[in-house]
Amino acid sequence: MNTWPKSYIVAALIAATALFPVGVLLSLAADSTQVFDAYNIQVLVNTVLLMLITACGAVLLGVPLAILLTYVQIPWKKFWLVLLAAPLAMPSYLGAFTFYAAFGYSGEISQLTGIETPTFEGLFGASVIMILYTYPFVLLSTRAALSSLDASQVYAARTLGMSLFKSLWHIALPRVANGIAAGALLASLYALSDFGTPAFMGLDTFTRVIYVEYNAFGLSQAAMLSLQLLVIVALVLYLESRVKGSQEPPGRHLLFWPNKKQTLLMITAIIPVILLAIVLPIGIFSLWLWRDGLGNFELAYAWHSAQASMLAAAAAMIIALPLAHASLRGKAGRLMERIVFVGFGIPGIVMGTALVYVGLQLPFLYQTLGLLVVAYLLRFLPLAIGSIRTATENLDTTTVNAARILGASPNEAFRRITLPLTMRGVIAGGALVFLEAMRELPATLLLGPTGYETLATYLWRVYEAGYFGLAAIPGLLLIFISALGLILMLTGERFNDLELNKESKAR
Amino acid sequence: MQRRTFLQTLSLASLAGTIPSISFNTFANTLSGESVKDLPPLQGELTLYLGRGEGGLYEDVLNAIKKRNPEFTLKIRRGPTAALANMLLAEAKAGVSRADLFWAVDSGAIGQVANAGLAKPLPAEIMQQFSPEFRFNNWAPVSGRIRTLPYNPSKVGNKQLPKSIMELPNCDLSIAWAPAYASFQSFVTAMRLIEGEEATLQWLTAMKRKARKYAGELGVVMAVERGEADIGLANHYYTLRLKAGKPDANLQLAFTNNDAGCLVNASGVISLTENKTAVDFIRYLLTTEVQTYLANEAYEIPLAGNVVPPRGIPALDKISPPQIDLTKLADLRPTLSLIRKAGVL
Repeated sequence: MNTWPKSYIVAALIAATALFPVGVLLSLAADSTQVFDAYNIQVLVNTVLLMLITACGAVLLGVPLAILLTYVQIPWKKFWLVLLAAPLAMPSYLGAFTFYAAFGYSGEISQLTGIETPTFEGLFGASVIMILYTYPFVLLSTRAALSSLDASQVYAARTLGMSLFKSLWHIALPRVANGIAAGALLASLYALSDFGTPAFMGLDTFTRVIYVEYNAFGLSQAAMLSLQLLVIVALVLYLESRVKGSQEPPGRHLLFWPNKKQTLLMITAIIPVILLAIVLPIGIFSLWLWRDGLGNFELAYAWHSAQASMLAAAAAMIIALPLAHASLRGKAGRLMERIVFVGFGIPGIVMGTALVYVGLQLPFLYQTLGLLVVAYLLRFLPLAIGSIRTATENLDTTTVNAARILGASPNEAFRRITLPLTMRGVIAGGALVFLEAMRELPATLLLGPTGYETLATYLWRVYEAGYFGLAAIPGLLLIFISALGLILMLTGERFNDLELNKESKAR
Repeated sequence: MQRRTFLQTLSLASLAGTIPSISFNTFANTLSGESVKDLPPLQGELTLYLGRGEGGLYEDVLNAIKKRNPEFTLKIRRGPTAALANMLLAEAKAGVSRADLFWAVDSGAIGQVANAGLAKPLPAEIMQQFSPEFRFNNWAPVSGRIRTLPYNPSKVGNKQLPKSIMELPNCDLSIAWAPAYASFQSFVTAMRLIEGEEATLQWLTAMKRKARKYAGELGVVMAVERGEADIGLANHYYTLRLKAGKPDANLQLAFTNNDAGCLVNASGVISLTENKTAVDFIRYLLTTEVQTYLANEAYEIPLAGNVVPPRGIPALDKISPPQIDLTKLADLRPTLSLIRKAGVL
């Protein structure tokens, strides 16, 4: 028992690598001349404001939708649910790009219809986009909490004369506060680490300013800003770990049966969200495709995206296994697994900045596909691990115990029982890594080999050059990939709560 | 049509392009341009760092060169000009070299890299293709651009147009600009060097109150043409490109005198390696065919050889650009912080 299992050695190595970028940033920031200046405060204010507005907006939009989709019997409930959860799967930069192009004095909408629409830019624009693409976090987490709620108290309050909204406000919502908070924190985390949206909207948040500093090759200044961003990310992650979902013993389910007029009203209220978050991007990209045709698009861009992502997914599946093995072996293993999760909190632009510096020190890595794959791995490995862990958590430990009692060594039990049973999780995890890496923008922008254009970087280049029409194909392909991701999530273990009220069906 | 001609000449070399023989005499008549037909075929592999060019137009030139030289591989790394210049400097400092060539839309960035000693000298016969004021040490200018004030004549009416860029915010005119645009930032850098930080900051703050913001300078000239603003700030070729597609466009060009408002900047190329192919590649960019294409399609001012400049702008000796060392325009950081201080970005 004193010797470490082999998987520990691998896991320790990976955990050390996961912490490596933070170490690089610390050493880089050590030569930074300026720790904090007036402009830095402005960036901090912008970032925090965007984060807070996003969280509040996501709650304001997500909670009513969650109540509607949990308790109210509207027709095609599952259809609406999937459609309203869909923005979660789409990278918000696609939305930001199309909003930027569609609205404003010379935007597509005013050119098509002659109606002048307000410009989406700055804090206002970025907030609207962020809310539109993060409210599903709140919707799903709130919905999960609401559907486990016992409705008897609400009914009691109603019987005693409390109005419907008052009873929901005073009785239902406080009990799902943790669920709402969990969703809001995820939304804030997303707002903090996203690069594309503030960049397209011209809002100086940490991610955008880090990119500007990187472009001036002020690597130490970029590192200092990255560390400041990581502090906020860590704070949000800490808060998130403190929020625990409340579990109530299941009871009666709350159900409302609206009349036709009310149903129509509610569906009319839903539709603008879907129009803005999903239909608008698809519409604008399709319009460009119709008007500008294929343009300079080369299949190589799609292939590059797929190639790097496949390498990352394959590596993630191989590496996640010893980590999962180690985490099942004991406390130290679990700790190492947690360390790897650090990567998920590191925004792509921060990871990119750190690894560019590593590349400059180790020229054989600089501007190679290898370094890009390492960046994807460090960022998205937690997705694979999470997926494997869900699979192992559902595992009946008695089979493993039985195997051990029957004389199998721990390794044999892992190989012959745990591994085959977790294979589904491994593959789902690999697929998640693949899809997430396909859409990654900032790290690819910074680390990609010369001439290695991917869908995301091509989209960015087209935006920078102002030839928006050329974005049609990569835009639509990225939406398609996001749709695949959504399907995977819906069929995956983690989003079972999306299935239509299991309890009510059972009853 | 001219674009097709160019592509055919350059890629197939089967049709002789019509080489213009009449010249406005902007530059000395004795300058001799080369034709792609005189150039040796390119072979091997080169890596080009391409500072954010005019999108598809520079791309067309590169594609045509690639097509004409099937045994030649060109790897392109694209990025904002200043970013690539900084990247080249950082790579040199770390002892990593990846690029053979750097083609940038801004002389400042080129100068920064050349001054750091990274540029390899170019043969004298390349320098012979330029008029003396465009013969630089170790780098070759490719095309020129002038800062201009495009205005809407029917909106401006008989109001006074500003004679100096510093007067612009005090005029009774509504303004369109694109402060996020790289050319704008080079122009502000020039203003900062000529007028000083304080005056530039005041100018930016005063402008901010009157100006409407657009994403790019094509957007600026379109807005001025539509009448959303009376006057704009943009490089000359955006006006010419818009007028090419819409000859009766309600758009005229005004020039300021001897200040940053009529800065003449040049895109240019340097070789970072002592490689014959790299030098030959530069010669391709300076051929009559490429220069004619850039003049006719991109409305940029051809700088090599004896190519007719685009119609619709005065000859370079008719305007009075400020006397400024273009290579100093690379110092973007103080400019960015000024623009931010004014709350413009």
